[in-house]
Amino acid sequence: MSAVLHWNDQPVAFEPGETISAALARAGIRELGAGRHFCGIGLCQNCVVLQDGQSPVEACLTPAEAGMRLTALNQQEATDVVRR
Amino acid sequence: MSSAAEVIVIGGGPAGVSASLALAALGLPVLLVEQRDQPGGAIHRQPARGATRPALGESRHKRRWAALSAALAANPLIRQQMSTIFLGIDGRGRVLLDDRRGGVVRAVTPRGLVIATGATERVQPFTGWELPGVMTAGGAQVLLKETGEAPAGPILVAGSGPLLLAVSAQLAEAGTRPLAMLERGKPHTHPALLARALGFPRQALEALCYGLRLLGMPLRFGTHIVSATAVADGFEVLSSDGRSYRVRTLIVHDGVEAAMPSFEAADTPFPVVLAGDGREILGADAMPAEGRHAALRLAAALGHTQADVGIDAELQRARDFQQLVRGLYDHAPPPPTPDTVICRCEGKRVSDLMALPSGLSPREAKLAGRVGMGPCQGRFCSRRLAELTGAGPTGAFRADIARWPLRPVAITALANAEIEPSAAPDQPRSTTRD
Repeated sequence: MSAVLHWNDQPVAFEPGETISAALARAGIRELGAGRHFCGIGLCQNCVVLQDGQSPVEACLTPAEAGMRLTALNQQEATDVVRR
Repeated sequence: MSSAAEVIVIGGGPAGVSASLALAALGLPVLLVEQRDQPGGAIHRQPARGATRPALGESRHKRRWAALSAALAANPLIRQQMSTIFLGIDGRGRVLLDDRRGGVVRAVTPRGLVIATGATERVQPFTGWELPGVMTAGGAQVLLKETGEAPAGPILVAGSGPLLLAVSAQLAEAGTRPLAMLERGKPHTHPALLARALGFPRQALEALCYGLRLLGMPLRFGTHIVSATAVADGFEVLSSDGRSYRVRTLIVHDGVEAAMPSFEAADTPFPVVLAGDGREILGADAMPAEGRHAALRLAAALGHTQADVGIDAELQRARDFQQLVRGLYDHAPPPPTPDTVICRCEGKRVSDLMALPSGLSPREAKLAGRVGMGPCQGRFCSRRLAELTGAGPTGAFRADIARWPLRPVAITALANAEIEPSAAPDQPRSTTRD
């Protein structure tokens, strides 16, 4: 496990091909801001995080990539995404 | 990117792949769209390349997927587009696809549309179900299948339905047997239905195999979770039989439901059919037949006279089995307590809903109280909100109204949108309003 992504400023190692959710779960990171991994298939939207400060992505679906910078989507941003 | 000659199939699970193959067999070119980076769907989520321990899977499910995926790979009429999200159908009847890799949304008018995006898990709300570390059985299974590792133990599994048994056995196989499994229903008190289950030997054998892997694990029937409270390093879970459990991960599940927005009724310039467990819960064994049947219905709508849309005996048998399962596990859930979160997206509790003036329409309740208006679009709350508020003169909370975007989309991807010209008039469609 040499590849690393960043949750806030914390480096998180992952296996190639696994999702952001799997990597964060192994690292013991369960609180994704107000969010968390729940349904695993993109329906509940609870695990949506911000990739590189701009793209909302479901952690449970999105493959982890080296150098990815992930931050929490706060509650206000979560609802703004829907209002757009 | 897409051409009007193509039929678009949304969802690369067994129903969507089977539908794609049947459409291609009729000579129709297909664009198969899948949200993940490879097909398989929730049931056949593949292990990551580094996963060393393969997750437990019953061999007939593996064989079914091996056959479907080999046929898919070999089919020249099916084009696959992975990592792409179906956002909905816009006001001019165009299919909106968010290509997450390309960072671009495409609005296209296909020849026809098959939506096979799968079932929604039902979870009965209880105090604390919103805490991090509580996940659905499906949510735990995808992690398990992908990594071969169980979520952090100790684990408690609770709720209702045969999937509880399956996920418990899979966790045990991965090395973390749950402390206990709490099953709200009492399937053992229905001997006549259990006898009928023997008429479905494959499923009965699968349940038996799961049971054998769980020998020694307490299986508490007629028991449900009362509350989960965060404590240092996990939860304290109280159950209705007065027991308490200290766990790190709590896995919940109360069956599955077909909770697809009513796209078939949408005013589109092309035919739309639903396929798979999102149309009707029929189970994994029925998905090849179900996908074929959906493809035939779409082909008939497109004027293919060779498409024989009869009653499929295999689907009827799956329907009979699902009815049997519902009977076995039939058990009224307890009403949620006032402090139970009812709307996960907005963090609203039953007491917040009850504090609203009575007689509000769902739209008014959303605007005044924010209940049921979050990014899940009602997929995890509408049923419960409807039960709590009743139908009322203005109608009940509904999850079947499709509002695009169904999922989050980056502004940059929308700004980069590639939009096909449409023949349909530009007017807001009533189906997008609530």
